[in-house]
Amino acid sequence: MSEPISCHTPTAPPTTDNPFLNGLWKQNPVFVQVLGMCPTLAITNSVRNAIAMGLATTFVLVFSNTLISAVRKLIPNQVRIASYIAIIATSVTIVDYLVKAISIPVYKALGPFIPLIVANCIILERAEAYAAKKPVVKSMLDGFGMGFGFAFALTCLGTVREVLGAGTWLGFPVFGPHFEPWVLFVLPPGGFIALAIWLLTFSSWRSWRMKRKLAEENSQLVRVSEVA
Amino acid sequence: MSGPVNTGHTSAAIPMIKVLGIVSLLCGVLIVITQITTLGRIRHNQELLMRESVEQLLPGFQKQIVYGVEPSGDLKVLQGLGVEGHRFFAGYDNSGNFLGVVIETSDRGYADVIQAMYAYSPDSQTITGFQVVDMRETPGLGNRIGSDKDFLDNFKSLDAKHPISAVKHGAKKNPWEIDAISGATVSSRAVGRMLNKSVQAMAPIVAKNLDRIKRGN
Repeated sequence: MSEPISCHTPTAPPTTDNPFLNGLWKQNPVFVQVLGMCPTLAITNSVRNAIAMGLATTFVLVFSNTLISAVRKLIPNQVRIASYIAIIATSVTIVDYLVKAISIPVYKALGPFIPLIVANCIILERAEAYAAKKPVVKSMLDGFGMGFGFAFALTCLGTVREVLGAGTWLGFPVFGPHFEPWVLFVLPPGGFIALAIWLLTFSSWRSWRMKRKLAEENSQLVRVSEVA
Repeated sequence: MSGPVNTGHTSAAIPMIKVLGIVSLLCGVLIVITQITTLGRIRHNQELLMRESVEQLLPGFQKQIVYGVEPSGDLKVLQGLGVEGHRFFAGYDNSGNFLGVVIETSDRGYADVIQAMYAYSPDSQTITGFQVVDMRETPGLGNRIGSDKDFLDNFKSLDAKHPISAVKHGAKKNPWEIDAISGATVSSRAVGRMLNKSVQAMAPIVAKNLDRIKRGN
């Protein structure tokens, strides 16, 4: 008789107690939760844009999470979403001014996607699912974790798209002057292809880790039963 | 028939209105503080960016005067950058000699509005340089209007006495025609249109005030 096949399928990994690591890795907003796909696909045609958008979103997440957590007990349940949206929109407006003050070329490159951070579902999801229930410091850490996790994912995508689509990384040539860039990768279809490659890589890696963990647990169980 | 007023609902609504009012007030104050603190820096960045563009378009450039165009066609010297579309930049070298003017223009391209600047020499009535400031044209095709060397060579001495237009790649016969990029005809034509429209409007104003511009006052 053949061995029974394990029916365990990889699901979302368990969260950790550390809110920073949780957002950065275990519950990565792009690779695990698959949230905020619009900016993920739209502005990752260069690493510089990806990092700038990642940092802008991190600021919004940290600011809104901290403020929402600080006033969470004062806001009546019925008007909580309206209040959260006002706070999130404020932080996005502040980011808009700050990016313009820091670098106008980056501001122009990010175009309409800075105001659109307000509609990024990661922000409201963290406000509702975490900041509205947890203390200030933990919410701030969660904002940093999710923000850096988002920036990390965007940079991964930006790397593939810029290296293959333009032959450069952060503007520095990678392949030399004879490389013919694969223009497809800086166009919208390239975004989908690069995202698919990364999602496949991450889910295969998570599934492999899950299987290895199960195999270890099974072998431990066998050893314990043999000893008994 | 109207029923009695439900005071229960009204009293429950007051704390909500209060909270929303306080949150909105707080958000408004934060936005105003940020706007005030970043305003100077944003203006400085914009001036720096504009100066860089003018520098690239007018070789030997050292000093600039920003002129605002009044509805009557007269000019006034602006201290800041003024309003886009109603101004131009006059460039001078180290000894104060007039080099030319740099004018902003824009038109709809393939994907979105293309914003550009060009250098115009009123003496020879030619366009002597062209630079894209902002665009969303297709990477690898339309966006070559900002970087393709052959295309940019069109603007080394483009005759502005005749109506400017873009022609198919390889079909350029006259000095007022722009040789379009193969595969980016829509974007190239947009460049032709925006230059023609802007030169027709601005060249008479510059010519009318040329003595004053050359004196730099």
